[in-house]
Amino acid sequence: MRTNRLLPLAAAAALLLSACGGGESVDTGGGGGGSGGEGGTLVAAVAAQPDQLDPHQTTAYPSFQVLENVYDTLVVPNAEDLTMEPSLAESWETSEDGLTWTFTLREGVTFHDGSEFDSADVVYSYRRIIDEELQNSYRFATVTGVEAPDPRTVVLTLSQPTPNLLERIGAFKGMAILPENAAEDIDLVTEANGTGPFRLESSDASSTVLTAYEDHWGGAPSVGGVEFRYITEPAAALTALQNGEVQWTDNVPPQQIESLADDDSVELQTTPSVDYWYLSMNYARPPFDNRDVRRAISLAVDREAVAEAAWFGAAQANQTAIPEDSFFHLDYAPFERDVDQARQLLSQAGVQTPLTMGLMVTDEFPETVTAAQVIASQLEEIGVTVEIETLDFATWLDRQGQGDFDAFYLGWLGNLDPAAYYQEQHQTDGPNNYQGYSNPQVDQLLQQGAVETDEDARKQLYDQAAQIIVDDVSYLYLYNPDVVQAWAPGLQGYRIRADKAIDFATVELP
Amino acid sequence: MTGAPLPEPAASPTATDAGVRSTQRAPRPRWRETLGLLARNPTAAIAAAVLVLLVLMAVFDETVAPDGPNEISVDDRLQAPSWAHPFGTDDLGRDILSRVVLGAGVSLRVGFLAVAFALVVGALVGLLAGFYGRWVDDVLMRFMDVLFAFPAVLLAIAVLAVRGPGAGNTALAIGIVYVPVFARVTRASVLGVREEVYVRASRSVGASDWRLLTRHVLPNAAPPIIVQTSISLAFAVLAEAALSFLGLGTQPPNPSWGLMLAEGRGFIDIAWWLAFFPGMAIFLTVLCFNLLGDGLRDVLDPRQRTLMAGGGR
Repeated sequence: MRTNRLLPLAAAAALLLSACGGGESVDTGGGGGGSGGEGGTLVAAVAAQPDQLDPHQTTAYPSFQVLENVYDTLVVPNAEDLTMEPSLAESWETSEDGLTWTFTLREGVTFHDGSEFDSADVVYSYRRIIDEELQNSYRFATVTGVEAPDPRTVVLTLSQPTPNLLERIGAFKGMAILPENAAEDIDLVTEANGTGPFRLESSDASSTVLTAYEDHWGGAPSVGGVEFRYITEPAAALTALQNGEVQWTDNVPPQQIESLADDDSVELQTTPSVDYWYLSMNYARPPFDNRDVRRAISLAVDREAVAEAAWFGAAQANQTAIPEDSFFHLDYAPFERDVDQARQLLSQAGVQTPLTMGLMVTDEFPETVTAAQVIASQLEEIGVTVEIETLDFATWLDRQGQGDFDAFYLGWLGNLDPAAYYQEQHQTDGPNNYQGYSNPQVDQLLQQGAVETDEDARKQLYDQAAQIIVDDVSYLYLYNPDVVQAWAPGLQGYRIRADKAIDFATVELP
Repeated sequence: MTGAPLPEPAASPTATDAGVRSTQRAPRPRWRETLGLLARNPTAAIAAAVLVLLVLMAVFDETVAPDGPNEISVDDRLQAPSWAHPFGTDDLGRDILSRVVLGAGVSLRVGFLAVAFALVVGALVGLLAGFYGRWVDDVLMRFMDVLFAFPAVLLAIAVLAVRGPGAGNTALAIGIVYVPVFARVTRASVLGVREEVYVRASRSVGASDWRLLTRHVLPNAAPPIIVQTSISLAFAVLAEAALSFLGLGTQPPNPSWGLMLAEGRGFIDIAWWLAFFPGMAIFLTVLCFNLLGDGLRDVLDPRQRTLMAGGGR
C-alpha cells in the first residue's frame, strides 16, 4: 500500500499547523462512540494511512494531516499569509543581540489526558528532538540552550542570530509539544496526547478517528469528530464525495479540476501551494558534473508543457523554487527553450550523443512518472536518451541516499522560509544535497542569509544565491503546483491553505 | 482458410518406424491434415486469422503505426477518436492507435517468450518425469508442486521483486509460473504413451532412450501440449497486462496494453478511449488464443479427429 511521504523528509518539511491540545491517547479497542458534543462527524477522504503518529519521527504527509488536529506548536503559520502567529506561546521577545528568545506560554492549556501544559513540556519536547537527533533536529542547528526559568516561560539561547527561528519551531507539527515524558508514558507511534482540538480515538488500516476535545484552549471544535478515511484511488475518493459518503477530500484527480468547476455536488477550491518539483542530476556521474551539460538539459526542457501535462493547468512553471505569492519569490527565468543552443552546448562539452540518462521516478507520486515521460520526449530532441526507472518509494529513497542515480525527479513540500528552500539542498555537504553540488559563493550567501535579520537584505542574499543555483543547474526547477481540495457544498469554516495544513478545528458540517 | 501459427507439431507419429502400426494411414503429413481440419472449424480459423494479423502488426509495427508511440504533444491531449486519431489521444497527446499497435509487439513478444520458456523447461521436466517414473518422477514433480502451490500472479510478482521490473524479466517471471503447468500436462500425456505397444516394440529392438523419447513418446504425447501452448499464450498476454498494470512489467513510456490500461484508469470518467482500446486489444488477443486452443483440442483429439476426418478418407 502506498504511504504518501512528505517528499522533503527532513529539511523543508514545513507542514501542517494546528491548534493546541493535550490529553492522553485513547484506547483503540472500544466501541468508538464519539465523545464529541453537538456536531456530527466529518468524514475526510485522504490518500493514505499515516505511517506512524509520533510527530517528531514521521516524515509522512498522511501522518501530518492527522497530527495537525491533535498537536500544537509554540507558534503556528497564519492561514492567510503563512507568517507566524501565537499558539501555545502567547508572546515572545528577542534580545538585543538576537541570541536569546524568551517565550511566554499560554495559560489554561491542558493535554487530552487532563494534565496541565507548562514550560517543562516544551523543554522535554525540544530536548527530545535535539538529544535523540530526531528527524527535525536540524531545525535546532543554532539552538544551544532550552531553559524553563518558570512554568510560563521558555528561553531559547542561540549560537548565532536566527531570523527564521519562529518558522523553524512552528512551520509544521513535526515540532509539536508533547507532555513531559510522553515517550515513556505512552507508545507515541500508535497513541497521542496533545493539546490540539481533537483527541485520537482510534487508528487502523481503514481509517483514523478523532473526537472533539471539549476543553481545548481555543474553544471546542464545532464538529463532534473527524474520521480520516483512506481512499487511495483519486477517482474513488471523488465518487465518495459526490455520493455524500465523505464530506472532504484532497485526493482530487487534476484532470477533473476543470469539469468539477461546474459540478454543483462538489465545492472545489485551489490555491497556489508552497511546493516545488524539480529534476536533479548527479554531480558524481560524468558528464552530469559538467555545467554545460546540465545547462543544455535545462535549455531543452519546456517547463510549461511539463506542468501542463502533470497538473492540467493547476501548476505554474517556475525556474526557481519559491512561488510567486511569496515575499521571497525571485523573478528569474534564464532558460528559454532552445534546442539548437542546447545541442551546441552539448557538443561544446565534448559529449557524444546519444547520451543516456537514467531518470529515477516513483509511482508513489504519479506526477513524477508523467513528467518524466514529457521530459524524455523533450530531451530526445537534443540527443539525450532518457531511461525512465519507476521505483517504489523505499527503493527510490535508498538509491537517492546512496547516490546511485544519474538523475531523479521529485518535489519538496511545505517550505515557508528561504533557508528551507535552499540551504539543506544546495549548501556543500548539506543533508539533502544528494546531487553533490558545491559552490563556495553559494555557501557564503546561504550562510549570510541564515543570520541576516533585516528582511530586505535577507531577500537580496537569497536572490543572489538562487540565481547562481539556477545558473549552475544544481536543481532544474520546473513548477509550483496548486493545492487542490474539494468538499461538500455547505461545509463551513474550512480554509484551504498554501502549506497544505489541514485544520478541522473550526469546520462546520452542512 | 489460413495457416495457424502452430509451433511445428509432432511429425507423423509412426510411419517411419517399420511395423509399429500396421493399420497406418497413407502418409499424408499430419500437420497438414491438422490444418485442414482446423480450417473446417470456423471459430478456430477466424481466431487464427486474427492472431496472424496481430503478429503481422507486431512485426511491422513501425510501418503500420501512424505516429511514433512516444510522440508527446500536450496540446493535443485527450482528443476523442477522430479521423486524425482513430483511437483518440491520451493524457500526453500520444496517438492511442499507434500505441496499441506498438503495444502488440510488447505483449506478444513477452507472451511468446514466456510460453517458450515454460514449454521447453516444463515439457522437458514432464517428459523425464513421465518416462522414467520412480524417484525421478517424485523429485521433479514434487518440485513442480511447490511452484504450482503459489498463486500465479503472486509468484510472478515475487520473481519481479527479486529481478526488477522490465519486459525481459516479465517474460521470465510468467514463464516460471507456467513451467509446472506444462510439466504436468506433458507427464500425464507421456504416462499414457509410454506403455503403448509401439514404444515397447521399439525398445525391444534396442532403441535408445533418446530415440524412444524423440521419435515415439514426444510426438505422440504432443497434442495436449500444443493445446496447452495456445491457451497459455492467452494467459501470458493477460499476465503481462496485469503485471504492467501493477507497474512491474513494461516501463513507461513504452507502450504495453496493461500499462495503457493502468494509465487510462484515472481518465475513465472524462476520456473512455484511453482504457477502452488497449482493453479491447487484450480482450481480443486472449479470446483468440483461447478459441484457437479449443479448436486445436478438438482437432488433435484422436477420437474427434477420426470422427471429423473419418468420412473423408
